[in-house]
Amino acid sequence: MDVWDVLGRRTANDEFVVVGAVKAPDVDLALLLARETHFRHKEGVAYAVRRRGDDRIHEGEWTPESLGGVTDRSYRRQEAYAGVGAKLKRVASQMAARGLRIDRPRPPDPRGGADGEPRHE
Amino acid sequence: MTYAERTAEFKARIDAGEKIEAADWMPDEYRQAAIKFIEMHANSEIMGALPEGTWIPKAPTLRRKLSLTAKVQDEVGHGQILYRVAEDLGKGREQMFDDLVNGRTKFHNVFHYPAETWGDVAVIGWLIDGAALVTQKALLDASYAPYVRAMRRICAEESLHLRHGEELTLELVSGTDDQRAMFQDAVNRWWQPIMHFFGPPSKLDRDVLLYWGIKTRTNEDLRQEFFSTYVPKLWDVGVSVPDPDLAFDDAQGAWVWSQPDWDEFWRVVKGDGPMTATRLAARKNVWDTHAWIREAFDGIPRAA
Repeated sequence: MDVWDVLGRRTANDEFVVVGAVKAPDVDLALLLARETHFRHKEGVAYAVRRRGDDRIHEGEWTPESLGGVTDRSYRRQEAYAGVGAKLKRVASQMAARGLRIDRPRPPDPRGGADGEPRHE
Repeated sequence: MTYAERTAEFKARIDAGEKIEAADWMPDEYRQAAIKFIEMHANSEIMGALPEGTWIPKAPTLRRKLSLTAKVQDEVGHGQILYRVAEDLGKGREQMFDDLVNGRTKFHNVFHYPAETWGDVAVIGWLIDGAALVTQKALLDASYAPYVRAMRRICAEESLHLRHGEELTLELVSGTDDQRAMFQDAVNRWWQPIMHFFGPPSKLDRDVLLYWGIKTRTNEDLRQEFFSTYVPKLWDVGVSVPDPDLAFDDAQGAWVWSQPDWDEFWRVVKGDGPMTATRLAARKNVWDTHAWIREAFDGIPRAA
C-alpha cells in the first residue's frame, strides 16, 4: 500500500508543509485519512496529500470554514477550557480559607513571583 | 567511507543539532533504538485509550462524555501517527501490532493499572497526561525529524487533554467531601505508577536514546519538572501525595523524594500488571475481529 505525505497550510498566507503521512490504497482514502488524522481540530485552512516519490499534490476539497467540522465541537479545542487557570486560583483560595492548603516549601517561581505564594497560570 | 566513519559523521550531525529524516542514512543502532522507542510510544497511546474508554458510558454529563470520547479518539489517533513514523524506519505496522497483542513489546506502565473511579479519570487526565506532556515536550528537540513533527501535533492535543483533566480535578476538589476523598484516593493509588512512569534514574553512559538524541533529557530531570509543576498545585488545593519524604530542598535546588518499589515497575512493564492481560486481550479481540477491514483495504487496486 502506498505512503502519502500529508501537507497542511496553517493560514492562507502559509505554504504547504509536510505534517505527517498516512498509508492508503488511493488518493480518496489518503485524503480522508489525512483529514481525520491531522485536521480534526481545525489545525489549518487547507490540506493535501502527495504520494511518496511523486511530485503531484492532491488538495482536499474541504473549505477553510468546514475543515475540522461545522458543528459545535469546541470541547475538542483549547478555547473550551478558557478560564481553567483562573478557576484553579479560585479553588486554591477557597481551600486556603478552609485551612486545607498544604503549606510546604516550594521551588522559587521562575516568573519572579513571591516564594510560597500559590502559582497559577 | 567505512561504517564506523559514516556513523561518526552521523553522530556529529546530531551533536551539531541537525535533524535526521527518514530517507537519510543512519546507523543500525540508531534505527533500532528509534523503532523501539517510537513503537513503545505508539503502543502506549492505543493502550492508554482503554482505561479512559471504559468510563465513556459512565461519564456524569453529556459534555464530559463528549470530551472524554474526543480525548480517547485523539489518543488512538496519536497511535496511528506514531505507528506510521515507526513504519518508515522499517518495521511494518502489522508486525508491531502483532508484537503488542502477543506481549512481545511493551507499553507504558501506567496503562497496566485499573481506572476504578471517576477520580481516576481526573488523575489520568491531569497528572498522567501532565507527566506525559513533560516528557513529550522534551521530545520536540529530538534528533529524528518525523518524530518531532508528530510530537508537535501530539503535544498540542495533549495540552488540551491536560486542561480537560485539570477542569475535572477542580470540580472534584471543590465539590463534596466524598468527591474530594475520591480524588485523594485516586492520587494515593496512582502516585507510585506516576513515579514509575518517568523510569529509574538514567545511566548517562548506557542510555542509547540520550546518546543518539532520540531523547534529550534524563528521567530524573523530567521527574523534577513534574514535581515543580504539579506538586505545588496539588498542595494548593489541599491534596497530599503519599510520599512523606517529598520536599523541595532549597540547598539542592531540587525535590527530594522516596524511591518507589522498582521491582513492581519492572514486573509491570514486563507484562505482569493488574490489567495487562485484560487490556491486551481487548486489543487482540479488536485486531482479530477487524481483520476484514485490513483485507478490504489490501484489495483496493493501487490508483494510477
